[in-house]
Amino acid sequence: MSKLRDVQIKLDRVLSVVSNTIQFISGICLVVIVGTFAWLVYGRYILNSTPTWVEQLALILVVVITFLSSAVGLKERTHLSVDILPYMLPQKLRSLLFMVIDLMLIWFGYMMMTKSYDLAVFNWTTEIPLLDIPLGVRSIPLIISGFLIILFCFNNFLRNLLSFLTGEEPEDEDVIVNPLTEAELGEKS
Amino acid sequence: MGLTILFGLFALGIFMGVPVAYTIGIAAVATFAYEGLPVLIAFQRIESGISVFSLLAIPFFIFAGELMLHGGIAARLVHLASSAVGWMRGGLGQVNVFASMLFGGISGSAVADVSALGSLLIPVMKEKGYSADYAVNVTVTSSIAGIMIPPSHNMILYVVAAGGGMSVSKLFMAGIVPGVLMCVGLGIAARWIAIRKNFPTEKFEGWKIVLLSAVYALPGLFTAVIIVGGALSGIFTVTESGAIGAIYAILVTVIVYRSLSLKAFWTAVINAVRTTAMVMVLVACASAFGYLLAYYSVPEQLTALLYFVSDNPIVILLVLNLMLLLLGMIMDMAALILICTPIFLPVVVGLGMDPIQFGVLMMMNLGLGLCTPPVGACLFVGCAIGDVPIQTAVKTIWPFYIAILIALALVTFVPAVSMTLPNMIG
Repeated sequence: MSKLRDVQIKLDRVLSVVSNTIQFISGICLVVIVGTFAWLVYGRYILNSTPTWVEQLALILVVVITFLSSAVGLKERTHLSVDILPYMLPQKLRSLLFMVIDLMLIWFGYMMMTKSYDLAVFNWTTEIPLLDIPLGVRSIPLIISGFLIILFCFNNFLRNLLSFLTGEEPEDEDVIVNPLTEAELGEKS
Repeated sequence: MGLTILFGLFALGIFMGVPVAYTIGIAAVATFAYEGLPVLIAFQRIESGISVFSLLAIPFFIFAGELMLHGGIAARLVHLASSAVGWMRGGLGQVNVFASMLFGGISGSAVADVSALGSLLIPVMKEKGYSADYAVNVTVTSSIAGIMIPPSHNMILYVVAAGGGMSVSKLFMAGIVPGVLMCVGLGIAARWIAIRKNFPTEKFEGWKIVLLSAVYALPGLFTAVIIVGGALSGIFTVTESGAIGAIYAILVTVIVYRSLSLKAFWTAVINAVRTTAMVMVLVACASAFGYLLAYYSVPEQLTALLYFVSDNPIVILLVLNLMLLLLGMIMDMAALILICTPIFLPVVVGLGMDPIQFGVLMMMNLGLGLCTPPVGACLFVGCAIGDVPIQTAVKTIWPFYIAILIALALVTFVPAVSMTLPNMIG
């Protein structure tokens, strides 16, 4: 059991670095989108030449932000969910329920990773207009997101398994029970 | 059978506590697999669902709201509201409603509204002798103004879910009168309770102070003018005006207010990224779900069913309102907009209702759902800030619910309430 706990703690640390890096990349993407739109408006009204690539680039960057950060959201449990049933269950059953949820998400992540890969291959010979890069590039964030979902949910699964076996609450239980309130209060402070 | 799997898995996932966006995705992908449809298409829909130009406005609105939140605009708005309406009986209740109306025009989000204004006003109200449940209730219910008064990213979601073709600017305009009406109703409810419980009043500091605080708040309020005005005048698209709004928000908080540090800026960026991802992944997964709804002709089936129950438009509208209210009590607003719009819209259009009017109706209805148990994001945040158990707050919240329901009835049955302003701009 202690070996499993060591593995889980190590994995947790590695994944924290991964999720912080992804948040940073996503943040930069947002700043770039805002900056390029300022350039678009400047170009249209001041330079009299509209940079046409801006919107296409922004669409790709939004896909990057959405799929990478939403996978991180699964790790940090910031997504909205209805927590009535988990509230009502005793600790052991709750851990079991969370393990089932983690497995469902791992399946979804696997499907997302493999099918988006097929989609990327399928679209590789078509080009995105105005950017001249393959359309399949748009699927890459989904492939990475699928992989990250598997990683993060596997880590959550291990944590919930440990909690199930030991009968102790996982360390971040308070975040699990009411993610939105916690997230918002975190913002406030 | 496929439809049973789609809705069965969806309901099961929600009940189990799977994140809503992924519940939608899992139900859709599993149904694709069951039907023998290429699962590739599900992910193609998930990817292309957010590759829509008008959706680009959402990250900008969220970012502008976050910048204002971290750049000190909320405090200035509360000061303006306090000097203008604080002298009334139960003045801070009125201040709360008025500030929500002003802040709602900037943040565009009810939850942001509760966390920003609640953390400023609820502690002060408690300190001055207002009961905690009153402070929480007035903050929570007035936050719906954030959804009703433009800009509102939920309205963009509605336009996209309705299949585009509708003017976002018109929907923005349509939300203003109902939003203000609702706030007037909430103000009356707040005053009624304040008189009964003899809550205190604030001293009127004079018109000079009102004017001064208006001047201080003006640069911040101008963000909304830029976003809405830019889009309405046709100078910018809605997406561009969102970006200009965000850049203006940076300039105002850095240069005019000098209240946005680099750290606060980055916090705003990361929060905006998180919220954007939460909303957009919902849109993405709902796109695959929507494909299946059309595949099974769900909108047509529901229309037939409703006409079977009654052919009286009033009854059908009441039933739709009730369904939205009940769904809003247990589910997140954005998810419901994305799923219910394609299903309900054909029904109301068949009744002769303008899709813009229905959009406003849906915003207010689902907004109320954010303030109701068992799952209400605004109620949760408000109760957490006010340190009030949810069951205590809910016991005394009913006058506010009544005010919102009256406004909802007006929006539902009097088209002029929502349609006058958009009709004026053509």
